[in-house]
Amino acid sequence: MDQQKQGNPAVVGLGGFGLTTMVLQFHNVGWMGIGPVIWLGLIFGGLAQMIAGFQEKSTGNNFGYCAFTAYGAFWISLALLLIGNQFNIYVSSKTDIGWFLVAWTLFTAILWVGALRIHGAMATTFTLLLIGFILLDLAHFGYPQLTVVAGYELMVTALAAWYMMAHVIFADVYGRSILPVGNPWIKA
Amino acid sequence: MYSIRKLARLALTVTVTTILSTTTAIADEGAATPDEVVTKVWGAAKVLQTKGASAIPSLNNADGPWVWKDSYVFAFDCRLDRMVAHPMRPDLVGRPIMQVTDNNGKRIFKELCDAAKHKNGGWVDYQWTKPGAGQTSRKLSYAVTADLAFSTGIQVAAGVYDETLSVEQLNKMTEQLADPGSFDH
Repeated sequence: MDQQKQGNPAVVGLGGFGLTTMVLQFHNVGWMGIGPVIWLGLIFGGLAQMIAGFQEKSTGNNFGYCAFTAYGAFWISLALLLIGNQFNIYVSSKTDIGWFLVAWTLFTAILWVGALRIHGAMATTFTLLLIGFILLDLAHFGYPQLTVVAGYELMVTALAAWYMMAHVIFADVYGRSILPVGNPWIKA
Repeated sequence: MYSIRKLARLALTVTVTTILSTTTAIADEGAATPDEVVTKVWGAAKVLQTKGASAIPSLNNADGPWVWKDSYVFAFDCRLDRMVAHPMRPDLVGRPIMQVTDNNGKRIFKELCDAAKHKNGGWVDYQWTKPGAGQTSRKLSYAVTADLAFSTGIQVAAGVYDETLSVEQLNKMTEQLADPGSFDH
C-alpha cells in the first residue's frame, strides 16, 4: 500500500511570509495604514507561518523549521508590539523598534549563509531580505527616507518568496517542474 | 496713621497687582503664546516618536491634549501631500494639502514643509481662520518633522494669531529654546 501523500508546509510558510511582508511595504511606501499589517501579521504571517514552521520539524528540514517558526514569531511580536503602543503596554519607540530590527537583521544574516547552499531562488530571497532589513535599520537610525527604498526592495523579496511557493504548488499540480529555482550559489 | 507716600505706594501696588492678574487671566483664557506653541509641537513630535502611528488619533481629538486656548496641533505628510490630523477641520484629513493657498495666494503647506525641513523646525506666517471666528487673521505657525517607526516622518505644526510678531523673531526664539547653551554669551 502506498504511503499517504504529505503536503509541503513551506507552501503555507512562504505564502504567509510573502503576504505580510508585502502589506507592511504597502504601508511603508505610504499606500495604506498600519491596521491590516497588524491583523495579517498575527494570523497569516504569524500563526499560520509558525504552524508551518513546526510542521517542518517532521520533514527533517532544519532550515525551514527555524526560518518559518522564527519569522512567524517575528510577525506576532511586531503586531503585539504595535498593539502595545496603542494600549500603553511597554511602549516601543522608533529607536526601540530600530533595535528590534537590528536583532532580526543579525539572525537573518545567519540564515542567509544557509540559504546560499539551498538553491538560487532561496539565495535570492534571503539576499533581498537581508538588504531589506539593513535598509529598515538605517531608516530607523537617521535615514527615514530609506523607508520607501526598503519598501520597494522588500516587495521584491515578498515576490521572490511567492515564486518559491508557486514553484512547489505548480510542480505538484502539473506533475513537473514549471518554475526553475536555480543552482545553489555555494556548491559543496 | 498712613503717610501720603505710604498710601500712594499701596494704591500703586493694588493697581499693578490688578493689572497683572487681569493680564494673566486674559492670557490663560485667550491667546496661545509662541513658547506654548513650541512646547506643544515638540510634545506632539515626541509622542509620535514614542508611540508611532497609534498616537495619530489623539491629534484628531478636538477635546484632546493638543488643543488649547485658541490654538491646536495639526499634522500633515509633505511627501504624500496629505493632511494627517486636524482637530478643528476633520474635513481636511486625508486630503491633498500642497494646493492650499491663503487669501494672498501663499501656498501655506509648501512653506510649512520647507520650514519643517530645518533641524529645529521653522515659522511661517499666513492668513487662516481662527477657531470660532468668521474671517481670517494673520497666523504664524511653527512646523517640525516628527520621526516615527515605519515612516519617512510626518510634519507637525501649531500656531499663534498675531499681527505684529515677525517670522525672524520667532525663529530666533525657537533656536534659543532648542539650544540655550549657544546663547549664553
